[in-house]
Amino acid sequence: MTVELAPPPPGRSAAADRAETRRRRVPYLLLAPGLVWLFIFYVIPLFQLLRMALTTGNLQAGYVFDWVWENFTQVFTTYQPQLLRSLVFALATTMITLLIAYPLAYAIAFRGGRYQSLFLLLLLMPLLFPFLMRTLAWRIILADQGVVVQTLQNIGLLPSNGRLLATGWAVVAGLVYNFLPFMALPIYVSLEKIDNRLIEAANDLYSTPFTAFRKVTLPLSMPGVISGSLLTMIPAAGDYVNVELLGNPQQAMMGNVVQNKFLNIIDYPAAAAISFTLMVAIVILVLVYVRSVGTEDLVA
Amino acid sequence: MDTRTDIPAVELDGVTKEFADFTAVYELNLAIGENTFFALLGPSGCGKTTTLRMIGGFEDPTTGVIRLHGEDVTGQKPYQRPVNTVFQSYALFPHLTIFENVAFGLRRRGVEDAEVKRRVNEMLELVQLTPFIKRKPKQLSGGQQQRVALARALVNHPRVLLLDEPLGALDLKLRKEMQIELKRIQQEVGITFIHVTHDQEEAMTMADVIAVMHQGRIERMGEPTEIYEDPRTAFVAGFLGASNMMSVTVVDRGSGAVALNGGTRLHIDPSKLDGGDGTVRVGVRPEKLRIYPIDEVSLPPNVLQGTVTDASFIGVSTHYLVEADHIGEIAVVAQNLDDHHHRPGDPVKVGWLPQHCFVVA
Ligand SMILES: Nc1ncnc2c1ncn2[C@@H]1O[C@H](COP(=O)(O)OP(=O)(O)O)[C@@H](O)[C@H]1O
Ligand SMILES: [Mg+2]
Repeated sequence: MTVELAPPPPGRSAAADRAETRRRRVPYLLLAPGLVWLFIFYVIPLFQLLRMALTTGNLQAGYVFDWVWENFTQVFTTYQPQLLRSLVFALATTMITLLIAYPLAYAIAFRGGRYQSLFLLLLLMPLLFPFLMRTLAWRIILADQGVVVQTLQNIGLLPSNGRLLATGWAVVAGLVYNFLPFMALPIYVSLEKIDNRLIEAANDLYSTPFTAFRKVTLPLSMPGVISGSLLTMIPAAGDYVNVELLGNPQQAMMGNVVQNKFLNIIDYPAAAAISFTLMVAIVILVLVYVRSVGTEDLVA
Repeated sequence: MDTRTDIPAVELDGVTKEFADFTAVYELNLAIGENTFFALLGPSGCGKTTTLRMIGGFEDPTTGVIRLHGEDVTGQKPYQRPVNTVFQSYALFPHLTIFENVAFGLRRRGVEDAEVKRRVNEMLELVQLTPFIKRKPKQLSGGQQQRVALARALVNHPRVLLLDEPLGALDLKLRKEMQIELKRIQQEVGITFIHVTHDQEEAMTMADVIAVMHQGRIERMGEPTEIYEDPRTAFVAGFLGASNMMSVTVVDRGSGAVALNGGTRLHIDPSKLDGGDGTVRVGVRPEKLRIYPIDEVSLPPNVLQGTVTDASFIGVSTHYLVEADHIGEIAVVAQNLDDHHHRPGDPVKVGWLPQHCFVVA
């Protein structure tokens, strides 16, 4: 290497320019594999799904792409109840899960002491068992002769011939149970990150513990609330297992319709149109939810 | 200051704080006057933060009583005390703008909007942050964040402001500026500041009164010059600056005559000899010593003879190390007033006045 003693030439050297170009290219190069992946496994299938939704025909005779929109219109006519139920169940599940998960995560984060990891492990433990088995277990819990129904009947919250299994309550209960860890975990993470000195500072500035929670802890945990809600709401809206195992056809959600069309009736165009519509509906639901819950004060 | 009253702004009465396995503060008695800039000085881990947190209400003392302006506040919650804190790491609310950070306390107390606006703006002007009003804390530099923390506390007009190493995270130059700034603000708003620091120079620069803390106790308390000149304990003497320590035997308590090991007579202020008997330890600060050529005849009462072992010229002064008989190496800081530059190996005399000696327990 030689030592340059002369002042640098006016403007930039060609080498510096090349280095600059290379530097700017790096982020794109790093993103490239991900973008290719997304394109092959997300954009193309999505496009195919949309295309399939606009075809007529069946498996034996083949499909013809002819811009038929009937598959979409039937979603809002024939399957309107299922669509609405999906969204209502998803919203209800999200709300109830949030109400249970927030205090739970708060207790673990602020009162867990040295048992925090143990509590987290307990929270995640159910995930070690198959989804199906856990949901089936709820059939026993909510069974007509089970303890829960009997107790509710005894204290008069349920009429003597009332039941839980095969009702919307059972479906929502199953959904809440299954998604609880996915709600609690992100909330725990965002609560755990909060510096205790911020709460002390709020106390110092005339906040009672409740005001400090409302003005500091809660806003700072909103990122966790939002990601937890998304992790709950999106899969819940598309779920069909809980209805299948805990509900009955009267509680069918969009997921059940899709499953039926794809696997039983083998009506791919209808199934595609329903899937696509459900996806758009979920995106709208999520946007509305995030806008109403989140504020511009959100921090990363 | 004429606004001071007889009732201290802050009073700690036999305050002890025990953690599970550790006593952080031991039997602390402390009275801090109104409008005082009070510095709690001590090395890391000596219990400064714990003391401050007890005054703020974040920790309850294990025993003892805390009074603010005569009122017993022991057991009161932080939000019930007329005290505000500037936290060690600022603890600014990351989700709020600078304006809302500063307005936080006023809003909690239900001050009306127009008044909040007026006071926050006024305070941000005082700390020169008006242009940053809409930013979030993360978008400010360390020094600016520090000033937000100060404004957020001061805007509430607390009667006592607690500051826990508020300048610790700043670089040296900024720290020096903020020291002067803090002192100016304290004089302007006229309230009691309790400033925790481990930096003796910072404490000396700003404080009216300094308490030197060591292992959960206050070893010495007084005005900066007073405790510097007469530290009373070896720890305080060492913590506040360099000093030359020597063991002497008391010869005549009345005149303050003492003798070194080899018999050399020294004289110290007799009033400082009260408790000590037999052998006592005395000290003298390097800048109080003067260095003379070996043949000098007009000398102060205390003189030692020795040989220069090291001389370093640093512009404003020259630092000498002199190997003196019976004592060992002593440090001398000489102002560059005369032409005498002594070199290593030169025989010299080192002299000082009796009143510049202090005695430590
Ligand atoms: N909550 C606590 N539990 C146990 N020990 C503590 C606690 N807080 C402080 N201490 C101990 O008390 C001593 C004094 O701490 P602190 O007041 O923070 O010192 P300083 O502020 O002077 O550095 C330290 O040894 C520290 O480890
Ligand atoms: Mg500290």
